[in-house]
Amino acid sequence: MKPKVLLNKVSFWCVTAVTSAALMQSIAPVTANEVKIPTEVTDLGKDTYKKYCSPCHGEEGKGDGPVARSMLPKPRDFTRGAYKFRTTPSGSLPTDEDIYRTVSFGVPNSTMIPWDILTEEQRASVIPVLKSFSEAFEVRKPDAPVEVGLRVRPTEKCLAEGKKIYEEKLECWKCHGIEGRGDGPSAAEQEDDFGFPIKPFDFTTGKFKGGNSPQDVYLRFTTGLNGTPMPSFAKELTDEERWCLTYYVMSLIKPEETKK
Amino acid sequence: MKLIYVLSVLFAFLCCNLISSKDILADSKYSETEVPDGGTIIGNVKYMGELAAVGLNLYRDWELSDTSKTTSEKLICSKVNSGLKNAVVSLKDITQGKKKIIPAIHPIIDQQNNYFIPHVIAIVSGTTVDFLNGDEQMHNIHTRSTRNQPFNFGTTYKQRISKKFDYPEIIKITCDLHKNAYAWIVVLDHPYFDATDRNGYFEICDIPPGTYTFQVWHEELGTLEKEVTVHPKETTTIEFVYSQN
Ligand code: HEC
Ligand code: HEC
Repeated sequence: MKPKVLLNKVSFWCVTAVTSAALMQSIAPVTANEVKIPTEVTDLGKDTYKKYCSPCHGEEGKGDGPVARSMLPKPRDFTRGAYKFRTTPSGSLPTDEDIYRTVSFGVPNSTMIPWDILTEEQRASVIPVLKSFSEAFEVRKPDAPVEVGLRVRPTEKCLAEGKKIYEEKLECWKCHGIEGRGDGPSAAEQEDDFGFPIKPFDFTTGKFKGGNSPQDVYLRFTTGLNGTPMPSFAKELTDEERWCLTYYVMSLIKPEETKK
Repeated sequence: MKLIYVLSVLFAFLCCNLISSKDILADSKYSETEVPDGGTIIGNVKYMGELAAVGLNLYRDWELSDTSKTTSEKLICSKVNSGLKNAVVSLKDITQGKKKIIPAIHPIIDQQNNYFIPHVIAIVSGTTVDFLNGDEQMHNIHTRSTRNQPFNFGTTYKQRISKKFDYPEIIKITCDLHKNAYAWIVVLDHPYFDATDRNGYFEICDIPPGTYTFQVWHEELGTLEKEVTVHPKETTTIEFVYSQN
């Protein structure tokens, strides 16, 4: 073999090795703090779930644990794979990172607390357990996360545009109310996919269940909340309109309500 | 960095593809063959029970003559012959037969005057359905399927949402803003089915000769079954009767 060819070969293999190493890294789900989320159910996961989660979510993940009875909102029934807080499109399963995030930050305005009393490893270990409760994870894969475009500035014009979308184009007020108090004309009759009554979110409280940043709010109405009447508005708006709607929705927060 | 991202997405995509195509193969028991001497079944689905109180009239604004006895969307039954509309007749457990033709022109479910039209459609797996909003106001289209990926989209006037249904399943579609509006999509993994017309008639053709269980499904009245022998190149007439229970 001529040296030059050899060199070529070597460099080819180097490149392949580097890219595949990089690939492996980007495929293995890694959260902000480099926590590895296991792909299989582990003993640690089972123990953690049984001890900390099953009292509410039930031994088999049906949301029917012993303390769940009088609770509203109900603890999530994991058997359908319907997760509210995702970065993936309407109806899609969540990514592992989406679940990890909810477990770590909790769900404000419900009994689901931020589970930061558990170690990162424990939180990661319950994720395969939650997924094992639903056959949906066997027959489907999560779609790719939706694209969140570059944020625009919340100018007055943008807010006015957002108001127009909220009140006229997409009629969010029918559920969420003109002032965003969750008291629109269709609000009273809403129920979730499990047959329990559900209230459209009251924006004035500012305690968004899926997180308080503009990006979180943007994602909520772009992806919808699976298992609830809250639809995805993925096809209706341009990226800029989305940011304007986000700012308008966040402008409905009433500081005096957030202190309650 | 971007390249790695693109590559990994591509890789993930390929993996998903492999997995899901395996799934489909494992799932479908139906295979296509030539059916040179197929027989035809025609028939009628009837409802003999007492009818519910007169409800809404879907054709009110349309100046079409209305021949149904009841006018609730749940149970539409002809005055003339008690024929039941919106029932789906299909062959159960058929494993071999004519080609599955996936319609190139997508069947449509439209939202008009706050109702879904049509109320029931039957499709073969792999068919894409287009959901339209024909009203000058907001609607949403919300499904709760498990095998087929569910969805819930808000739609404005003239919006069109296309969704493909890959697995056999009976799927209910609702609009959360108009609680009495809903529709059904019946997905089957073979082409031997028909939805009854407004006089309860159906027709299924090119069935390989043999004895089969025929099944009829109706959203309110449940299912009925019947064993029927299909003869080569002959037309056999059958009848399903839902009596009052
Ligand atoms: C005290 C009761 C309680 C306990 C204990 C509890 N949860 Fe929850 N959990 C809830 C409730 C209630 C909800 C629903 C909140 C809502 O929908 O507003 C929920 C929702 C969730 C969700 C749904 C997120 C989504 O996107 O839809 C996940 C995931 C979850 N819990 C995981 C866990 C894990 C993991 C544990 C154990 C470490 C746990 N929960 C322990 C009450 C509980
Ligand atoms: C059919 C009724 C309905 C319509 C229309 C609707 N929503 Fe919602 N929305 C809901 C419900 C119900 C929830 C609460 C789900 C929950 O608590 O789990 C919700 C939740 C939300 C949330 C999540 C808040 C959180 O806790 O993180 C946001 C953001 C939101 N809606 C924005 C909008 C916007 C913007 C529009 C209009 C483009 C809109 N919604 C239209 C019913 C609706």
